[in-house]
Amino acid sequence: MSDPVLLINVILLVIAVVAAIAAMWTRDLLGAVMLMGIYSLLLAVEWANLFAMDVSYTEAAVGAGAATILLLTALTRTGTREKAGPNFHPTALLTVIVTGALLIYGTADMPRFGDPQAPATVNVAPEYIAQNVGKVDAGEDGPENDFGDHVPNAVTAVLASYRGYDTMFETAVIFTAGVCVILILRPLSPSARRETAQSQEGA
Amino acid sequence: MMEHIAHALMILGGFFAFSGSLGILRMPDFYSRLHPAGTADTLGQLLVFTGLALKIIAVSIADEVPVDGLSIGKLVAISLLLFVTTPTSTHAISRAAHLRGVKPWTGEKEREDADE
Amino acid sequence: MNSAELITALLILAGAFLALIRAVKGPTVFDRVLAVNVFGTKTVILLALLGYIGNRSGFLDIAILYALVNFLGTVALLRFVESRRFFQ
Repeated sequence: MSDPVLLINVILLVIAVVAAIAAMWTRDLLGAVMLMGIYSLLLAVEWANLFAMDVSYTEAAVGAGAATILLLTALTRTGTREKAGPNFHPTALLTVIVTGALLIYGTADMPRFGDPQAPATVNVAPEYIAQNVGKVDAGEDGPENDFGDHVPNAVTAVLASYRGYDTMFETAVIFTAGVCVILILRPLSPSARRETAQSQEGA
Repeated sequence: MMEHIAHALMILGGFFAFSGSLGILRMPDFYSRLHPAGTADTLGQLLVFTGLALKIIAVSIADEVPVDGLSIGKLVAISLLLFVTTPTSTHAISRAAHLRGVKPWTGEKEREDADE
Repeated sequence: MNSAELITALLILAGAFLALIRAVKGPTVFDRVLAVNVFGTKTVILLALLGYIGNRSGFLDIAILYALVNFLGTVALLRFVESRRFFQ
């Protein structure tokens, strides 16, 4: 533990696990929402530690900010106590354990961090870089240039040219999510509102 | 010399931040818990950020490189931001709790931690 | 060399853990909001310290963002809790 950043990382992850377990364990759903906010903050620090700044920004804004508000809005429609009953589901536990074991088994094959021989860096990346970096004008004998000689920044060029479809369908996913949120949180009709009030009084 | 002052300020700030959290955990009721959250944390962050800024200046002087003004500006900005927002949010929380009818603890027979 | 920063970071982590315990214990929703708010402040300080310890750039920008998100989130949450009825 000579590396202080590593030490802090380990402590952060331990606290994140504690927060996640507490969020599952508590029967007070408001408390669970707050604990998930804390969990998001911790994960965001962890992302920043792993140099994933964009993910970190997103995690802070969405996980700790927007998701908390959305979950609270959902709670006003449902009630704030978890239903009494068994908290232990063997099938779910088994699924989680198998999936986790598979994922951990998969990490064994992953290349080392920053390995120059990693598949991600030897496959298509050199081609993109050859086409692109510092070559606004590749000239007659330059390599075939997908960027139309327009973009000098490699990351921007790859994002705009090769990840265009990716971004397009990400937008579709976000649109679907937004439609779902609007459907769930739309103002209730008067009869539905009466029903909800009755079921909450009964609970 | 400056570096030692910076270290002392940082550790003092860490101590205040820790004691603020301890207060939040140990205080008997909600309104008394606001007190460590609003005061100790504000002082703690101020000391830590002052310490960090001093440390950056001290290291730059020792290495004879120009001081990184942008970092110091950001540190000052964060510190000022927290200096304004921490007491404000504490006030907002206490106001909301008051409006929702949370009763202050008077030391008589209310049982604490009656959750679960 | 960085021991003072490390000690401070560990103190802040310990404080964050205590705030987490308060968030778990409750008992009212406002206790939890307070704990999350304090936790956010601790995260901002921790990020700045981590950026200095690890000699990373960009951490201070994230710290500014967190300070803003934390404040806005708390205020939004409170507007929300004030205006809707919760059974607490």
